[in-house]
Amino acid sequence: MTTTRRDFLKTSIAAATAASVGIPLSQAVRAQATKANGDWRWDKGVCRFCGVGCGIMLATKNGRIVATKGDPDAPVNRGLNCIKGYFNGKILYGKDRLTQPLMRMQNGKFDKKGKFAPVTWDQAFDEMERQLRKTHQELGPTGMAIFGSGQYTIQEGYAAAKLMKAGFRSNNIDPNARHCMASAVAGFIQTFGIDEPAGNYDDIEYTDTMVLWGANMAEMHPILWSRIADRRLSTDQTRVVNISTYRNMSSDLADLEIIMRPQTDLALQNYIAREIIQRDAVNWDFVNKHCVFATGPYDIGTGMRATGKFAFASEQDIQAKELVRTLDKFEAVAQRKKAGDEVKQENRGSAGRHWTISFNDFKKAVAPYTLDFVAELAKGDADESMDQFKDKLKQLADLYIDAKRKVVSFWTMGFNQHQRGTWVNEQTYMNHLLLGKQATPGNGAFSLTGQPSACGTAREVGTFAHRLPADMVVFNPKHRARSEKLWKLPAQTLNPKVGSHINKIMRDLEDGSVKWAWVQVCNPFQCTANANHWIKAAREMDNFIIVSEAYPGISAKVADLILPSAMIFEKWGGYGNAERRTQLWREQVPPPGQARSDVWQVLEFAKRFKLKDVWGEQKIPGLKSKGFQDGALPDVLAAALQMGYSPESTLYEVLFANADNKKHKWPDPLAKGHDNHTVTALGDSWFVEKALFEEYAAFGRGHMHDLAPFDMYYRDDVRGLKWPVVNGKETQWRFNEKYDPYVKSGSGFDFYGPALKALPSGDLDVVTNAKKTALAGKAKIFFRPYAAPVEQPDDTYDLWLTTGRVLEHWHSGTMTRRVPELHRAVPTALLYIHPADAKTRGLKRKDVAWIESRRGKIKAIVETKGRNTMPKGSVFVPWFDEGVFINKVTLDATCPISKQTDFKKCAVKVYKT
Amino acid sequence: MKTIHILIGLILMTMGLSGAHAGQPGIADKDLGLSKSTVFDTPSPEAFAYGEASPGSGNTLPRAYTGAPPQIPHSVQGFIPVTVRNNLCVGCHNNPAMWGQKTKGVPTPMPPSHYTDTRNAPGNVTKKLIGARFVCTQCHVPQASVQPLVDNTF
Repeated sequence: MTTTRRDFLKTSIAAATAASVGIPLSQAVRAQATKANGDWRWDKGVCRFCGVGCGIMLATKNGRIVATKGDPDAPVNRGLNCIKGYFNGKILYGKDRLTQPLMRMQNGKFDKKGKFAPVTWDQAFDEMERQLRKTHQELGPTGMAIFGSGQYTIQEGYAAAKLMKAGFRSNNIDPNARHCMASAVAGFIQTFGIDEPAGNYDDIEYTDTMVLWGANMAEMHPILWSRIADRRLSTDQTRVVNISTYRNMSSDLADLEIIMRPQTDLALQNYIAREIIQRDAVNWDFVNKHCVFATGPYDIGTGMRATGKFAFASEQDIQAKELVRTLDKFEAVAQRKKAGDEVKQENRGSAGRHWTISFNDFKKAVAPYTLDFVAELAKGDADESMDQFKDKLKQLADLYIDAKRKVVSFWTMGFNQHQRGTWVNEQTYMNHLLLGKQATPGNGAFSLTGQPSACGTAREVGTFAHRLPADMVVFNPKHRARSEKLWKLPAQTLNPKVGSHINKIMRDLEDGSVKWAWVQVCNPFQCTANANHWIKAAREMDNFIIVSEAYPGISAKVADLILPSAMIFEKWGGYGNAERRTQLWREQVPPPGQARSDVWQVLEFAKRFKLKDVWGEQKIPGLKSKGFQDGALPDVLAAALQMGYSPESTLYEVLFANADNKKHKWPDPLAKGHDNHTVTALGDSWFVEKALFEEYAAFGRGHMHDLAPFDMYYRDDVRGLKWPVVNGKETQWRFNEKYDPYVKSGSGFDFYGPALKALPSGDLDVVTNAKKTALAGKAKIFFRPYAAPVEQPDDTYDLWLTTGRVLEHWHSGTMTRRVPELHRAVPTALLYIHPADAKTRGLKRKDVAWIESRRGKIKAIVETKGRNTMPKGSVFVPWFDEGVFINKVTLDATCPISKQTDFKKCAVKVYKT
Repeated sequence: MKTIHILIGLILMTMGLSGAHAGQPGIADKDLGLSKSTVFDTPSPEAFAYGEASPGSGNTLPRAYTGAPPQIPHSVQGFIPVTVRNNLCVGCHNNPAMWGQKTKGVPTPMPPSHYTDTRNAPGNVTKKLIGARFVCTQCHVPQASVQPLVDNTF
């Protein structure tokens, strides 16, 4: 924050006064007052890494970041950072930063088999344009795709989504956040009709019971874990439960640890629901007023391809289960069928369908989930006694049901990366709603997120194949009409057909239905399961892959063109964290060499296409939508002309540099001397990031997603704001009349989300009355049965494999592995295995072992001690290490509703190298 | 600019090495990134070991920058996990008496920030380690004796 001499005098006086009475000082003031490093410029920012969204302070000098600190004024973290967070500055300075475009060349021109050679930005864009025109000619808008990100800034995601959806009329944009929280989204939409959590992080300080379901928060959300640790250590009655498939660092502070078999969380939650009913603990006042009961089909597949055409020979047996499943005894009970029954997966294409049921049906459905039944199914550690395990399950139910306790359930990838991810999310709401422990301070089911702007960008902006901003969807004609109005597009410009989700984009590359793909702010060729298929498709099929990156990772290695990108503090931007907090920052330092922001890349590329190239009639295979000709988007050029556009106008002029946006001038006083390389490189004089933010915010304001004005986030006394921000006030707990201005007065609670709020009714198996009933203001309590994982250990592949992160590295490691301190902390991804399992395979600690599945094999170093303790029969391998490329081994089965991959369970064998 | 020079250097180097490929300049994908292999290869991870110095042997590691948390210079075997009832790190590092004094040769004392509840009572330095700072390994990590994968110019 640049300060004048007058400000400085004021702060010195304030500092002197404050120090004597112990008033907290903002870091900026303190930095000014101490003058220890007088020539450092301090400004607020936000951490680059996980979804917690810690505030940091950044010091810069001579165009370089010289230090960072946890921001003591940030309510999220109050001055703390985790080990990664302390290296927010250092991640920018790895010596192999990409600083110029690199293209595969041979004899002076692009060649897919060539080697990477430096090219100019103009050459890079020329080739991108040439390749896109070729693909567009051949395949139309569905032949192109963008791999987006939960690490996009709000403006980057918005620019990319608008270019694709409004410009190219393609819905093939989907973020890596699909791998991360799509199941959470589907759970929210189906249960509440609106996305994102009711509560906020202050729930930790208000509650006395915290249950972690498949969330190793000690490593993955370390600063929230520090708040939990503080709560646990400072109040005796606080209880922490860690439910996991292996012992991890979160167990170190837990009072109760439950080790379960993979995917049996579905049964555990039904056991709790059954107990709530048996013990007459249903909060009927709450349930009657605010909830309905619901269910949906069970025969929904597991999100794999419907055909074995592309499967390796070794994959065929699992692939075949996509269409027909044989029920085991645990599944059969809940489906009122017999073990061994073969069930055709008829609802693969309509997995999200659901209907209301009676409470009696609900009660009947959970009745089989007795303690004995669930314990037999779910006990995950062979060395634990059945009695002890049962006792733990009883304790778990006691904690939830105890009327004197407040309860927060936290979850992340254990639930979301799950073949029934949407179901298991919904089951948590089921129990919180049955108890009425939802949407009040210290009570609630709280879906945590993994990436810094999975909420703020991927979800809120809507960079998904089916979404538009502010929870709208492309297949809803009203939503399209509203978006077309706000975007000033002719009617029927937007494509009503849902595009390819991120797994499907990979499959599209493999089968040749996508031939041009642009990777932005992610590393999909490392992070997508069953990677052997996709790296082969990238390198061997006729396609053109562009990777915008800061450092060369796996995706860059398989690219045809690599574009050097500016990193977080080298551009203006904003993120939204898991508690709905939107935080914006200024550009702190210039990007190195010719690296440029992703916003610039998108806008500059948009200059190369004219309306006449993209707004004529377009073929969209499979499009079937009311008001549209089958298989085609209409020519909207005549309507565009009526609106004052010329067919010769570029997408840059129409979508971005239009009159409204150009009203936001650069320079702007809120910059306080900070630069904006995006504006400079664009050669225009409008404040791109502010204009895009304000244009985007118009979607949500008055529509339950209100963001504050852009400038407000830059005030020195603001550390992000939790939306909806109404009349300058943020919202602490949604759906609760005391806190949320959108709640209908007098209702107490109002689950006002508008999506999927008119349902037919039926019994546990089918719809019996197709007439839809409106459910305004209600939340749904879903019955969802146990379902077995599609691939389980057998004689050949005899171990479960689960994957995840480590505390010290972020995602695919492209940033954190270039920080020597973090690299030395965890140099490589280890294979965590039970010592007895190692021994029977002739392996000992530190040996190198093969890990092999039906899909691929890799090598890793054996670890039988350390931070994770595996039960017999299970192994864990983190995925940050490109040299231990574990996603060659993982299975690309998904939740069929959310399309999120289950990275947490597949079958492998482990043996000596 | 420096990075560009390195890149050009790399290209020239690769040109020299890849004379067999008809003199085509450029960087092969296996020469990009942290693992010097193609995406189709299956590299063998290299063994590594954390420092085995026992606590109290007097070493410290250089701070990454002013204000960065110190790395753990000694073996942590037997000291972790940190649990509710058992935080062995605190046994040596809980030593406010050493604040402001020379700490060479003694365990680095936890600084006043670790005794300050920044959420509820900022500015108030207490005598007790604050719960939010209890899990030491959240910020302080041991270091293995391995070379950086690439240099860092921070």
